[in-house]
Formats: sequence, structure tokens, C-alpha cells
Amino acid sequence: MSFLTPLFLLALGALAVPVLIHLTQRERKSVVEFPSLMFLRKIPYESVQRRRIRDWLLLALRLAALALIVGAFARPFLRGSELAAAPGGARDIVVVLDRSYSMGYGDTWQRAQQAAAQAIASATAADRISLVLFADGAEVALRSTPETSRAVAEINAASPGPGSTKYGPALKLAGSLLAESLLPRKEVILVSDFQRGGWQPDDTLRLPGGATLTTVPVEGASGINLALTPVALQRIRTAGQPERVGVTASVLNRSATPAANVPIQLEMDGRVVQTLSVSVLPNSSASMTFAPLTVTAANTHASVRLGSDKPEGLSPRGSVDALARDNVFHFVITPSAPVPVTVVAQTGRAEANLYLSRALAIGDTPRFEATLQSADALAGDTLARARLLVLNDVPIGDAAAARLVTFVEGGGGLLLALGPRAIWPASRDTWLPARLLNPVDRTRGAAAKLSGLDYGHAVFEPFRAPRSGDFSTARFYSYRGLAAAKDATVLARFDTGEPALVERVAGRGRVMVFASTLDLSWNDLALKPVFLPFVHQLGRHLSGFREQPAWLHVGEVLDVTSAEIAAGATVAGSGTAQGSRTVLSPSGQRRDLTAPQAAPGAPPPSLALELLEQGFYEIRVVGRDAGPGIVAASNVNLAESNLERMDPQELVAAVSGGGSSGPAGAQDVLPDEAQELAQRFWWYLLFAGILLLIAETVLAQRLSRAAR
Amino acid sequence: MAVTSPIPGARFVDPAVLARVGNLQLVAKSVVDGLINGTHRSPFFGASVDFAEHRGYVAGDDIRRVDWRVYARTDKYYIKEFEADSNANFSVLLDVSTSMGFGAAVSKLDYAKTLAACLTYMANQQRDRVGLITFDADIVDHVPPSAKHLDVVLHTLDRAVAARPGRFGPPMRKLAEHFGRRGIVVVISDCYAEPDEIFDGLGPIRSRGNDVVLFHVLDPQEIDFGFAEPSSFEDMESGDQMPIVPGKLAADYRKLVAAHVETLTTRASQQRMDYMLLNTSLPLDFALFRFLSLRERLSHVR
Repeated sequence: MSFLTPLFLLALGALAVPVLIHLTQRERKSVVEFPSLMFLRKIPYESVQRRRIRDWLLLALRLAALALIVGAFARPFLRGSELAAAPGGARDIVVVLDRSYSMGYGDTWQRAQQAAAQAIASATAADRISLVLFADGAEVALRSTPETSRAVAEINAASPGPGSTKYGPALKLAGSLLAESLLPRKEVILVSDFQRGGWQPDDTLRLPGGATLTTVPVEGASGINLALTPVALQRIRTAGQPERVGVTASVLNRSATPAANVPIQLEMDGRVVQTLSVSVLPNSSASMTFAPLTVTAANTHASVRLGSDKPEGLSPRGSVDALARDNVFHFVITPSAPVPVTVVAQTGRAEANLYLSRALAIGDTPRFEATLQSADALAGDTLARARLLVLNDVPIGDAAAARLVTFVEGGGGLLLALGPRAIWPASRDTWLPARLLNPVDRTRGAAAKLSGLDYGHAVFEPFRAPRSGDFSTARFYSYRGLAAAKDATVLARFDTGEPALVERVAGRGRVMVFASTLDLSWNDLALKPVFLPFVHQLGRHLSGFREQPAWLHVGEVLDVTSAEIAAGATVAGSGTAQGSRTVLSPSGQRRDLTAPQAAPGAPPPSLALELLEQGFYEIRVVGRDAGPGIVAASNVNLAESNLERMDPQELVAAVSGGGSSGPAGAQDVLPDEAQELAQRFWWYLLFAGILLLIAETVLAQRLSRAAR
Repeated sequence: MAVTSPIPGARFVDPAVLARVGNLQLVAKSVVDGLINGTHRSPFFGASVDFAEHRGYVAGDDIRRVDWRVYARTDKYYIKEFEADSNANFSVLLDVSTSMGFGAAVSKLDYAKTLAACLTYMANQQRDRVGLITFDADIVDHVPPSAKHLDVVLHTLDRAVAARPGRFGPPMRKLAEHFGRRGIVVVISDCYAEPDEIFDGLGPIRSRGNDVVLFHVLDPQEIDFGFAEPSSFEDMESGDQMPIVPGKLAADYRKLVAAHVETLTTRASQQRMDYMLLNTSLPLDFALFRFLSLRERLSHVR
């Protein structure tokens, strides 16, 4: 019998304390002289008997219970047990199996399953087996079990997914599993096709000391390997005609075999609408443009697919090569909706709107649809149609201001471009991000320039990089002084430090004040190259425009909230609906997506959806007739289709840190911790100790009652 | 620097005590038999300033004592009688049994000796005849009362040691026959006897007309029982040992002592004796002053 923590046995000495106290008290010769014991004799107290042990059984129970508990803490175990006598020493095996989509190339996956099963078959009864499945991320499918049959069953039940290979997370997970292991031999068996793209050297990645990495490379039959790259969409608008979309697809041939006359199909909502053929030279690419199509419905499911027939499920049948997943590219097409902009200007001053109108008329993302309106005609209907309102140097009365406040707080955007005619009612002065002051004349001396731009803001963010637009060349000969409100954000200042562009969030909308005009009367900004993108950025930001991505990749996270806003037709409808969403995955599984509760006063939290499958995800609001909801197209990572292999020993050298090879006979005997853990005598001792204490309590109560 | 005195027992006459109680008198509450003028009431009429009564003139009376004012009113001769003041026998009965030797800072015997010496000195100063009797189970020393015996009393006190076990009843009964004249009897003891035994012993002395004062001297340990460690307690007189866990017994012990003191107080009051418990942890002058002033005040009431 040995003890893992023998120092606890010192506590056994405490058992003798009560007995020693009893003995020392009894034997003590110290005598106190007292004048008379006359009174003490009258007290009916058997002081002598108190020091006499009367209930030997109770004492024995207490001492035995304490001894057992102390023994439990000392962690006893038997050396040389059956566990320690396993031939060769017990192993903790972590089988790390690559399930990225490249493993679906030919019969690679079947070979990988066989290799993993063989590795497990070599395990003895004393060995422990864990199974880690990995692609982008890694998950423990089975944790430290001696049952090889379970491990084999898990391997057989697994299948390649749409993820791409990343060795780092998988090896880290395997290392953490082995770090917890107490067995003498630790081994990681990595079964993969060892794509070079899956390995990023990581100095921090090391397996625990004594652990070995065994690589099992598997390869499928070689052959042609084509892949579709992301498509290019071209929107064609003709006056009086609905918008048409042209799709250009590129095919990549990653093999040394040329591909000739490979059919390539364009599918819309599951129907093949066009078929072309493409020939691709070895290790090169080719592009094909389909005839433009008219798209009328939002969230149209579109796919470009290599091969003449649509494959069933995920099988490569009908596919042009052995790796089917990269032979299809999904995307979503939605007819572009213009952003309605109302420019309010004084009647008869067409030149004041010239540059602004021309700037808004250019561009696709988004397309602005500007209409001119006089200040007198500002009415509810006008405001209801607009998502952005530009007050281009016009006086605003109190009634019109009230309507504008309602418009902005309902979700609209408002831009005030100030000139000599701009007036805002003083009664609503505090609503604006800045109070309007008198004009500042800079016609004499040096003209004012813009400086101090907030490049972190969405409006100026595209101009952040060098040579991405120079605002300092614009000269401002006059501008209106602005007194920015405390809660307003000054996005740009003149070189004098006075605010040039101020923003404030009002309700669900935004309002900005530009201190000068958008024509040439007070500045020459409209003549500068930055004017067009500046106006577009103002329009995008104030109108709340968000672009919905036509496709995403597996492993990426879809911001459902932003996607819903991007899909919203009007500003008023851009507020995201609260509550749960139902997500229909490409495999047909339906699940709920619930937003976390928002804190009082805080904006509603964003909903996020991780894309784990290849295909189309459909997200709808639960319990609300919200139309088609949103659709996200999810595609496999194209880098995974590159089957170039790396030398597995490179990986071994990297994670083994110079090769602490596996333990040999020196560690054949289990360490004490492992033996103790396997035997767990302490648990029985503790249990027995507690039982004795319970028995002692019962006995003591009975004796106490009897004594009364 | 110690000052040596020609009288060994003089060290018990504590100047601090006397300074505190010097202006008080230990006056007998009852009449006492005396031969010379003193501070105590005599059973006889005498020449004091306290008028007692008138009586008819008889031949042989000193004509200086005729009350001429009464004669002028009544045309009869009346003699004015006055109370007589007398001195008294002042005897101290000191318990010198072994238990009186107990005490941590000061033993009960030393405390009692100081008390006896101070009282004796006071009595001698007021022209009383002073005597001393030490006793344990029997009478140890006997100094008969005399106006000249102060030195002898102090000598005897100095020699007294707590050497033998004591008993209260037998020596008291023996002494009762000894007190032929009425006087003041001060008993100083730790009273380790049953109240019946104590008052059976003191009763005969009191019944002979003596003014009995019982001082019950106890050490604070005997009152509070402030022991902590479980120990064997040995009776200082019998030598018996008893294992004691003080924490378990202290409360009961204190109750018994309190009941004992209460019984002694009650019984003393019933037999018209004065009783006072003295705790040796308290300064003697403080305790004695309290006792004498109380006694003086009560004697006026009576």
C-alpha cells in the first residue's frame, strides 16, 4: 500500500490528542490547595467521572472515522496493480481526422476512415482513445474511452463537410486532451490529405511533452480538378426596361489535365436557364459570361454549376471531376432598388442643385433617385417616399421643421447644406446638431480649407488611405458659423477649427449640417474629385443604405440584423423586427434563431448566424408575415480546392518541437497519480468514514437519551 | 527602608487603616460592665453629662446633686441622676485554623491579624480593656482583657500561625463560660462551618450580654472561584483531594458561597449580632470604615 499524499498521514497523530489529554489530565500531579472543600463536596457533579472514558464504542467510532477520512486524504493506492502491468504501457491516443471538403475528393474519405480504424485497432484494453474531427474548427467526437468499437462507429458515422482544412485548431485541441491525460504514452494520429493550404506555421503550437504525432496521409485517385471562382454580376439598366443582370463565371483548372468542353450551367431558383461549355488549360482559368437576365423577384437563388446534370445531394455523380463541392457557386440576386432622395431648394435656383443632382445621378451601389422639391411643397407624401432629404440652402419654417423632425426621427436622413438663405426656426434650434450662426466671409485673405476630418466615420472612411481623396484642395470663401451641440459629432472642421460638418442621431434617423453650400457660390468643392464620392458617402450613410452581400463562404458569420436592414425597401421599414427567426438551412433543417435580450435603453443586439453548410440559407421572422425574409448564399472556401500537398514531417517537426519522441520502456509503469486515479481507494475510505460518523451520531443520541 | 518596632505585632497596626477610621469609635451597642469611665453605656448611673432621671433625696445623698429648680417648684428635694459611661472588655476571637493561611497576595490570616490589631488599638485608645483569643479546633492562645494588654495582644498576633485544622463549635462553647462580664467580642474567621455550628457556638456568648461582631474573611478565589485549569483540589485542613473541572463547577460553587453568606447574615441579624463579609482583595481601611460608620449610625437609631 502506498500513498499519493503521505504527508496527510501526519494528521493521524491528531487521533491521539483526545486520549493524550485524558491521560495527562488523569496523571497530572498538580494540586491546588484550597481552604475547604466544604462547598465543592456539596455540588452534585461527578468531576472524576468526566475524565473517565465511559463509552468506548463511541470513542472507537470517532477515532475510526477520523482515521478513515485522513486515510482518504492521503490517497492510498496499490503499486504493481493490473493497470500498471499493461505490456508496453498504456497509451492515450487522439485520432485527429480531417473532414474538410477536400477529403471528398474521389475515395479519399473512405481511405481516411480505414486508416483511422486501423490506428484504433492497434489499441489495447488499457489504452484510451479520443476522436477529434476537424476542418476550419475542431470538435471532440469522442473523449478518452477504452471502447474501440465506439470510436470506430463514430468514424464511420462522420462524413466530409464543406469546411476547409486548418490543422492548428485540431492539433491544439488534441494537445489539450493529452495534457489532461495521466497515461504514460501519448499519441496523436493525424489522418488527412495534408493540404499545404491548411497549415499556417504557429510557434505556439506544441504537443505536450512526451506526446508523439503520427501522420497518416491519405490520397484519392488523381485526375482533373476544376473549381468555380466567385461570379461577377453586372447590372444593366435601360430606360424604360427592367433591370438586367449579367453573370460572369470563372473556372479554375488546378490539375495538369486539360478540361475541354465542360458544360457550365446557370440556374435560377433551381432551374437551369442557360448552359455554356468551357475549355480550360491545365493550371489556368477561363471566364464565361452568360446572357443578361431580367430579375424581378428579390432573393432569387442563383447558381453556376459545372457539369451537365445537377448532382443529387452531395454525391459527385454527374460532376465533371472527383471533387464536387467546388463545382458549384451559389449567389443571391435581388433587383437593385434606388434610394429615393429629395433635394429641397429654392425655386428658380437650378444652378444651386446642378452639381448635387449630377453627383446623385451617377453610381450603382446604391443608385440614388433624386427629385427636386421646393420648401413650400414639403408635405407628408413627399417625405414618406424619401429616405434622404437634402435642404440645399433653403429657409425652413416652423411647420416644415416639425414635419422634418418627424421624418428624421422615424428613420429618415436629413442633410442641411447652409448658404446665405438657410434659416432654421429658433424654436427647434436645439434639435439640430449645431446652432446656425452668421456667415463667415473668407473672400479676403486666404480661403478656408477643410481639415480635421474624422476618418473613422463612415462618411470619410473611404478617404482614409493615402491618395484616396484630398479635401484640402477645396477652398471655402464663405461658410456659416456653427455652434455644435454637446451630443453632436463634429466630422470635419475648417482650418480655423470651426465645425464644417456636424452629425447627430435623432430617433431612428440621422441629421447632418454642412456649413457651406453644395454648389460654387461659397466654395469650389463641387469641382474637386472628392465631391462625387463625398456626396455618395453622405447619401449612403444618411439613408441607412446597407449592401447585402450576394454570397458568403462556409465558416463566415451572417449579420442577420444588417442583412435585414439591407433588404428593407424603405427607411421606415428598416427597423429590425424583434423576436425569433426561423432558419432553413441548405440541408433542409429548420431551427430557431433568437436574439438575446437587450438591456433597457440599449439598441437591440445583432443576430448572427454561422454558415456551416454549402447552399442557401433562408431566414424569416417567426410569427410575422414578413415576406420572403432574407436569403444568404454560402459557398465553400476556394482555397480548399487546391489539393497541393505538404510534407507531413514538416508538421511533425513543427508541433513536436524538435522531436521528443515517444516514451519507451522507461515509462512502462504507470505513474503513481495514474494508478491512484484508476483505483480510487480514497473514495471508499471517505464513504466509510462518513458512514461511521453517521453511526456515531445515532449512537451518541441514543446514549444521551438513555443517560437522561 | 523598613522601620523596626520594639513591639513585633505593631506591624499589624496599619497607619493607613487608622488614619481612615481614627475618627470613629467602636462603641458597644449594649451596656457593658466597666470600672472606669469610657465610651460605652454602663448598667449603672454615674457622672456623665447625659441626664437619666430624678429621684427623691435620701439621707446620704450628696446635696450637690439636689435639683434646686425642682425644689423651688415643688418644695421637695429631688436628686438628678445621670447615665454612667463605662469602659468595656474588648476581646478578639481570631481563627488561626489552617484554612486561614490561604491567600495569594495576602493571606486571610494576615488580613485578619491587621484587622484585629487595628480594632484592638482603637479599643485601647478609647480606654477599653483589650484581650485576644486565638483558636482552631481548640483555644490556642488566650490574652485576658486588660487595659495594659495591648502589647501582649500584638505579641500574640505576631506569633499566631495557621498550623492546625480548625473547628468552630468546641472552642466557642468553651469560651462562652469565660466571658463573665459583658463586653465586646469580635470574632474573625473564614467560617468554614455550617451556620448551625457557628451560631450554636456564638449563641451562648451573645446570651451573656456580649456585643458580638462576626467578621467573615474570605479570599477572592474563595468567593469567585476563578480557577481555570482542571486540577486536584486539596482541602488545606483535612488534606483530602478532589479532582475538579472549575469551568463546570464555578457557577454552582458561587451559588453555594452566596447562600452561605446569606444564611450567616440572616442568622446574625436574628441573634442581634453584627456580621460583615470581608474580601481580602479590598483594602481593609475601606471595609472597616464602612462597617464602623454603619454601626455608628445604626447605634444612634437604636
